[in-house]
Amino acid sequence: MNLQLREVSKRYVSAGETVHAVDRVSLDVAPGEFVALYGPSGSGKTTLLSLAAAILHPDEGTVRFGGREVSGLSPSESARYRREQTGVVFQSFHLMGGASALDNAVLKLLALGMTFGDAETAARPWLERVGLGEQINRTPGEMSMGERQRVAIARALANNPRLLLADEPTGNLDSKRSREILGLLAEICHDREIPVLLATHDPQAAAFVDQVYTMRDGRLSEGLDIELQPLVRR
Amino acid sequence: MRSARDLLSLRVFGLRVSVLFGLYRQRLKYHAVRELLAGGGIAVGVALVFGVLLANGSVLGSAREIVHAVDGSASLELAARSPHGFSQRLADQAERLPGVQDAALLLRENAVIEGPRGSRSVQLVGVTAGLIGLRGSATKDLGSGALLLGRGVGLPSGVAESIGAQTDGTVTLLVGGAAHTTRVRVVLNAGAIGSLSTSGLVVARLPVAQALAGQPGRVTEVLIRATPGRERLVAGELRRLAAGKVDVLPADAELSLLNETAKPTNQSSALFAAISLMVGFLLALNAMLLIVPERRREIAEMRSQGYDSKQVLVVFAFQAVALGIVASLVGVVVGDILARTLFESTPIYLSVAFPISGQQGVHLATVLIAVGAGVAAALVASLVPILIDLASKGPVDAVLNRGEDAGQEISAGVMRRLAIAGAVVVLCVTIAVRIAPVLTVAGGVALALASLCFIPLVFRTVTRVLRQYARKRHGGMLAVAVIELDAGATRAVALAGIAALAVYGSTAVDGARRDLTHGLDRTFAEYIGTADIWVTTSGNNLTVNSFPADRSITEVARAPGVGSVRVDQGEYLDVGARRMWVIARPRDGRTILPAGQLLEGSMARATGLLRQGGWAAVSSAFAAEHHLRVGDTFALPTPAGPARFGVAAITTNIGWPPGTITLNTGDYSRYWQTGDPAALEINLKPGVSAAEGKREVESALQGRPGLRVQTMSERISQFQHNASQGLHSLAEIASLLLLTASLALAAALSTVIYQRRAQFVSLKEDGFDRWQLCRGLLIESVVLIGIGCLDGAILGLYGHALANRYLRLDTGFPAPFSLGALQLVLTLLIVAGVSLAVIALPGYSAAGVPTTRPSFRE
Repeated sequence: MNLQLREVSKRYVSAGETVHAVDRVSLDVAPGEFVALYGPSGSGKTTLLSLAAAILHPDEGTVRFGGREVSGLSPSESARYRREQTGVVFQSFHLMGGASALDNAVLKLLALGMTFGDAETAARPWLERVGLGEQINRTPGEMSMGERQRVAIARALANNPRLLLADEPTGNLDSKRSREILGLLAEICHDREIPVLLATHDPQAAAFVDQVYTMRDGRLSEGLDIELQPLVRR
Repeated sequence: MRSARDLLSLRVFGLRVSVLFGLYRQRLKYHAVRELLAGGGIAVGVALVFGVLLANGSVLGSAREIVHAVDGSASLELAARSPHGFSQRLADQAERLPGVQDAALLLRENAVIEGPRGSRSVQLVGVTAGLIGLRGSATKDLGSGALLLGRGVGLPSGVAESIGAQTDGTVTLLVGGAAHTTRVRVVLNAGAIGSLSTSGLVVARLPVAQALAGQPGRVTEVLIRATPGRERLVAGELRRLAAGKVDVLPADAELSLLNETAKPTNQSSALFAAISLMVGFLLALNAMLLIVPERRREIAEMRSQGYDSKQVLVVFAFQAVALGIVASLVGVVVGDILARTLFESTPIYLSVAFPISGQQGVHLATVLIAVGAGVAAALVASLVPILIDLASKGPVDAVLNRGEDAGQEISAGVMRRLAIAGAVVVLCVTIAVRIAPVLTVAGGVALALASLCFIPLVFRTVTRVLRQYARKRHGGMLAVAVIELDAGATRAVALAGIAALAVYGSTAVDGARRDLTHGLDRTFAEYIGTADIWVTTSGNNLTVNSFPADRSITEVARAPGVGSVRVDQGEYLDVGARRMWVIARPRDGRTILPAGQLLEGSMARATGLLRQGGWAAVSSAFAAEHHLRVGDTFALPTPAGPARFGVAAITTNIGWPPGTITLNTGDYSRYWQTGDPAALEINLKPGVSAAEGKREVESALQGRPGLRVQTMSERISQFQHNASQGLHSLAEIASLLLLTASLALAAALSTVIYQRRAQFVSLKEDGFDRWQLCRGLLIESVVLIGIGCLDGAILGLYGHALANRYLRLDTGFPAPFSLGALQLVLTLLIVAGVSLAVIALPGYSAAGVPTTRPSFRE
């Protein structure tokens, strides 16, 4: 199933001024395609991911996944879309501070109606895959930023999503761990043939993805922006 | 004197006071809602504490005010052992004793006053001009006022208002079984007699009062001021003069008698005050816990800007104290309103035996205790987490790198230690009250603390069990709720603690109150059930006011429906610190002792001994105090001098807290030197209904308007009403505690839910929908409230059992234990129902938070 955005725009009004967070963006991500969005802070990358996840709805244009329009779903339908179809790695992790890594990882599976036991069985391998097999009982408060980020990644992958959206998933990781995580995302993308959309500043990401786009002032352009090229060597 | 500007420029650890104000102003500007919530929690707690303290202190406080306002500088008193008093000649002799500087003669007689708009029980007090010399605050300016009384009476403004009487109007005084119409010479307001204006003391000149009471030449009390340094000499002389027939006591002896009488209800109120204090503290703690993460971040930011630990501490301590003071003052005002609206009624059973008023004096000490508790709660709740951060080596890193829920986990070790501490407390309380039942109140407070100690363990156990259950259950939000609960353990435990304390207090104290009410109802039914019709003086509640035995007894006996008439006698007798109820019943009565009240001895033998004479049945607390067993003998200070009685049986206190002494009317007439009845017990002929019999007796007593005729059921109802009215404030406090704690719990839960909107956004972004979140919240709330209720109910039932044992053993009340399962269920339903109903709206609203929060708009 492919992700398809057509002429999608999203505007915010801030201090009386209209900001075009996403401006007439069209993008296709095919099954098994790993796409990276580069761009400076405030360029609209996170908004684009939120539109793809049906967390936000566009002011104009359409977002489709697997041919189904997700941009006009009701709150409960969009929640269902997220829990059944997508895996999202949030930039700010969205972890529950006092809950263990395992409890955090199973949360989404519980929303799917799994038993606690089944959810733990499903989530545990993903925590091991991200290198946290020994730390499943620690709470985010007891973890480094990088470890928290890996819990968030495990949680996004635990429901075997058909679409993976990752917002700066390596932002707090060292280069070795970054490579591991990017490799994992690429592997999942290719093995399961699911579209993966990555928003990142990480120069290493370019080496793992199939396609690179640049976002600037809400506009999307194929390839790397000339200003970003010195930072990223494919 | 320093100007305000100088004060503001003072420096504390390098920070100007004006800066402290400025920082707090900033905080209020940006976090007004949070401060309001925290302040609200403190205010509710302080209101509970203050309301209960005020209600608790009002009876004793008002009596103390009245006694001191009348007694003034008197240090000694001669007090009669009977309402018939003693000869005025003896009083005159006392007045002339060497060393006596001032003396005031008094006659006190219970009465009922009737005015244009109603009637009420009062105490008629005859006074002499000597009272002014004692310079009591209420009487020192009465010089001209007292003269104005002439042949009439002076009414406190409270009494005048309640019966609609006015100066120069007429009122009827029902006293000693007779009715007297008299003129109101003056209505005395607070400006003239201070706190006495709300009392039930009707004042007249001594000769007038003697005439009204039908006791010419008699007084019941002489207040004496001795020349400084000669008190002991005067006391000795008075004792010699009293010759063992009149008591020589400190002038304020009545206060200790009242204290003993009001002890059970006061101790119950004290327990409530302590529980309210804990609930208040927990509310404040909860309120402060809500803002802890944000405060910890503020600390980190301040330290990163160069503030040192002391400066940070000063800033936050200043803010906690400011919040504590303002919130506590609001709480004091609310508590005062609560006390004046809900707890204002003066117990009838006390007002007929003691001079007390309905006025609740607010003392500075009470305000300071309540405000101090509020400020302490704010300081402890606010500063403890801060101190932990300040003590850590890298506070900035520790705070900034931990999530918002830092400090929410409770380690297994802490849980174990707390549970062990709770178990030790329960064990210690059990042993202590076994050895000394008087420690029950302190034990009750300790049990309330123990209930808090068990909550973390109960919480962990319940969430573990639920977690296991959820492992095999599909699709429920139970697992999510368990994760959420575990993630916010400290907060959950504090919230459950509020429910636990509310249920504990209500179950323990209200359970004991219900036992007592049921016991008293049964006792009165037994005691009064010996006659179909009762004749007493108006306003006579415990058969203690006598009326002249004249031909009315014969006339009643002649009524066609009347089968038999028996004379009951009785009165209050001060024995040590106890104002005992002396019950004298006829030898030929159906029963002398109510069967259900016998604690020691055989009913048949006791009845035989009581009929024989020279024997008395005494209540258990009095027996224990004097180490008496059945068969022992003891001396009673009667008006005829000390009299020896054998102990025929040991009984309950038959509903009168200080205790009772039951004997036959023959002995009573001999030692109290009167044959006047305090009540007539009338049995009707077979086939005559109670209503018919009552009409016949009323008709026979037509010439005695001061006497009241009641059927057995009417008199039982009156006793039961008085008993429940006396325990009314306890019931009110129990209900108020339950309701306030439930509402406060709901408010705290709502706040927690509202503050978790960011978390809900995350969950929604992960695919949870609104109804799933609502279900999760509902489960969380039910689990949390359930844990508190379970813990509180178990400890509460144990506290109830201990309180019941105390009532029976230490005070001798008839209070058979009953579990009160229905009441317990009702209590739990109230806590759960109120809390869940209140949080429904914020829960639904918070679960509907949109996913479009700004942090996602890059």
